[in-house]
Amino acid sequence: MEEAIIKVSELSIWSGIAAVGFGILFNIPRKTILVVFFLGFAAGLVKFLLIHFNVNIVLSSLVAASFVGILSSPLAHKVHHPPVVFSIPAVIPMIPGYYAYETVLSIMSFTFMEEGNPQKVELIVSIFYNGFTTLFILIAITIGVSLPLLLSRKETVKKNDGK
Amino acid sequence: MDKLKKTADLLLDISSLLMVSGANTNRINLSLTRFASTLNCQAYSMVTHKTLVLTVTDNETEATFTRVKKIPKYRINFSTISSISRASWSALRDDWTIAQIEKELHIIKSHTRYPRTIVLIAVSLSGAGFCNIFKGDYLNMLVAFISTLLGLYILQTAHNHKINGYIATFLASFSASFLASLGVSYNLGSHPQAALATSVLFLVPGVPLINSFTDLLDNNILNGMVRFTNGAMTFLSIALGLFLTMLLFQLN
Repeated sequence: MEEAIIKVSELSIWSGIAAVGFGILFNIPRKTILVVFFLGFAAGLVKFLLIHFNVNIVLSSLVAASFVGILSSPLAHKVHHPPVVFSIPAVIPMIPGYYAYETVLSIMSFTFMEEGNPQKVELIVSIFYNGFTTLFILIAITIGVSLPLLLSRKETVKKNDGK
Repeated sequence: MDKLKKTADLLLDISSLLMVSGANTNRINLSLTRFASTLNCQAYSMVTHKTLVLTVTDNETEATFTRVKKIPKYRINFSTISSISRASWSALRDDWTIAQIEKELHIIKSHTRYPRTIVLIAVSLSGAGFCNIFKGDYLNMLVAFISTLLGLYILQTAHNHKINGYIATFLASFSASFLASLGVSYNLGSHPQAALATSVLFLVPGVPLINSFTDLLDNNILNGMVRFTNGAMTFLSIALGLFLTMLLFQLN
């Protein structure tokens, strides 16, 4: 158990670092760097804990991304920066790079393998499994992070109408 | 009329700045409404990927003025989005004049980005972080770090030479994965494939893809599709670079 906790926290810290790296690439304001690290870390914690308890990776990404999305609204009011500034960098570490890589690898092996090789069937399974996992994780991340933003944005419009 | 012309130019300037910095369509329209109501007029806009069309109507005289602006080169900048959002709130609250908004916009435009070396190191650290997430050990992380560093350096240099964005992405993806593939062929670390898979992740078009979905959910279907296609093209360029490396190294 202890080992698992250490592993999950190490992964989460690296998620936080990856989030900050992307934040700097997107030129986030200096004051939000700590917030981005915290959100990236929290997202990693939620995702890897769920994966540890054998939850499917697509579902855990959705939960973690929604967690970031929901948390970013109150944070935005607190630090006076719009929520996109830290919610987008925070979910970038969840991008399914390894699945995408496996998809490309399988497509390449499939294309260049000679006809009639029985391994071709295995490769089709691999292309579909990895390709759709990549796609669904991407959709889960974007929906998770943008749905709470869309819901919270209504409030801002209302406040605006009051003026 | 002169005031309306000035207002239209200012609002177009603000929207095009937001567009190139990576804001979604809803945020652009929201900022336009806020600034326009501060200046006592109404703004109606059509936002596309390459051009902006904007009509302002004066609330009192009902005079209108229409202008079109070409959108400059895209460069994601969240600081700009944040500053414009804050400025729009202050403008509403304190009833800013055109001159005040112009001055604030000038200040926002003059903000500098993070220095190139800091960006290089930060993004390479992200690459190493990704490698850790995908079960790489510290040696693999080092490979991912160096590959990302080279890839991003090439991407930045290509951008500075105004090379087509997709070709720049392809070059960066190819060089980063080429370096990481050396790690695979020398079997460095416990999981050299992880370094190869993560070496190209810094190129992933996260902002266009997320904006595409928020635009689609907001019913800005056209802009959502444009952004999605943009992201998909970038993805293809990355895959092409990776593909070429794998072909050269006969990985399977």
